[in-house]
Amino acid sequence: MMSPGVINIMIHSDAELLQLMFIGDEQAFTALYRRHQGIVYRFALLMSGQASIAEEVTQEVFLALLRQAHLYDPSRGSLRSYLCGAARNQVLRLIARERPYLQLVEEGGEGEPVTVAQLSDGDDPLNNLTRNETIKLVRQAVLALPVRYREVIVLCDFQELSRVEAALALDCPVGTVNSRLHRGHALLLKKLRAAVKLDPKASSAQGRRCFA
Amino acid sequence: MNCREFEKLVLDLARDQLSDAAKREQSLVHTKICEPCRTRLAEERTLLAGMRAVIAELAMEEAPARVEEALLVAFRTQSAATASPALVSMPGRRGHWSEVRWTAVAAIILLLLSVMAIFWRSGISDKSQQKDRVQSPESSDQPGPQVTPPTLAGRQDVPKKRTHRRGSRDNSAESEVVTQFFILKEGEDLTTLENLSLVRIELPGSAINEAGTAIILEPANARVKADVVLGQDGLARAIRFVASVSDRESIERRDYGNHRTN
Repeated sequence: MMSPGVINIMIHSDAELLQLMFIGDEQAFTALYRRHQGIVYRFALLMSGQASIAEEVTQEVFLALLRQAHLYDPSRGSLRSYLCGAARNQVLRLIARERPYLQLVEEGGEGEPVTVAQLSDGDDPLNNLTRNETIKLVRQAVLALPVRYREVIVLCDFQELSRVEAALALDCPVGTVNSRLHRGHALLLKKLRAAVKLDPKASSAQGRRCFA
Repeated sequence: MNCREFEKLVLDLARDQLSDAAKREQSLVHTKICEPCRTRLAEERTLLAGMRAVIAELAMEEAPARVEEALLVAFRTQSAATASPALVSMPGRRGHWSEVRWTAVAAIILLLLSVMAIFWRSGISDKSQQKDRVQSPESSDQPGPQVTPPTLAGRQDVPKKRTHRRGSRDNSAESEVVTQFFILKEGEDLTTLENLSLVRIELPGSAINEAGTAIILEPANARVKADVVLGQDGLARAIRFVASVSDRESIERRDYGNHRTN
């Protein structure tokens, strides 16, 4: 699929590729795009739940890079963080634009919907689900999170950015990322418990913990 | 270690990313004596496993090839933009850029109508001077239209009149004459702006007539061309007017005829 020139240029760093892109090297731009489009696309997909939004976000993010590459300051962080930050802004804009039409939680789909009877009463909320059910359930729960928690979880847990990188992408302190990550996980577990009727012992156990 | 301290570490503990060995050991000891925290850690690991399943599922998800193709078109267009005025557009995409483009065009049309009104009034008042220039041999060698530059209301530093011509007389069919750029926002220095775009627009004279300005263009179907400089925010920053050589020659013939009649 890739041309030989693109393969050779893949050994260059982001900074080198950006410099080449500045002077009109199309292969450098292609290499940058192929290197980072996946993370941008998947971030937008997990944030919005819609492939059409993810596609549009990816295009807009790289179009902005093409036109405003000078806005990226390598001393502030990686290009990956910068692109994720740009993708986040685009996602929020598109979600706001399409909010009246956005179906955050998919219904139906290729498989049967998950019912309580199919689920385990054991300690592990996802253990007895099929892999597809687990994936569907987790994605639905993530999409149902408030945006400020969703974006942190998508960046840190799904895209595996460091918390420092996530803080750069979200333009907030690392401490904020940490607290939102904890709070987001707690909300996520709550939603999953509600979805799979997690063992009541687990839910009530939260109240018995010693925070003294 | 109490449950509050454990809670701060549980995410890293579930991922085996707790670098402090002592804290890790204390946390694991705590889970042996604290059932809620043991359950909390188990839940976190289960959640992590679910997330990893999603990551694996999406690992091969990528933007469709048409996105790369569209971006390459934009890259090539931008690379060529320095040679010819064009607004980089994305083929086949809905949304943001088309909205911006149409908003910008609407704003440009309004600005153009205003500037054209001033332009036309100035042109009428200085018409006799133009006729003299058209007749003189020196002026016939000068490229560009014999027009007076527009005077912007309330503006002291009116741009000096200067016209440019593309191509030569031999290529008159493709040649254009343009005025100097006129800054639309008082005091703005275009050299400090970045990512400017140049957009060619064309309006029928009837559009100006219908806008209710004091100008009546005859014939109404005559078209007025202009190049508009757009800022990064899509707002018009400067404008210049464009005429083809055939337009210019017809203007000269008309003016010359008027002069002879006078």
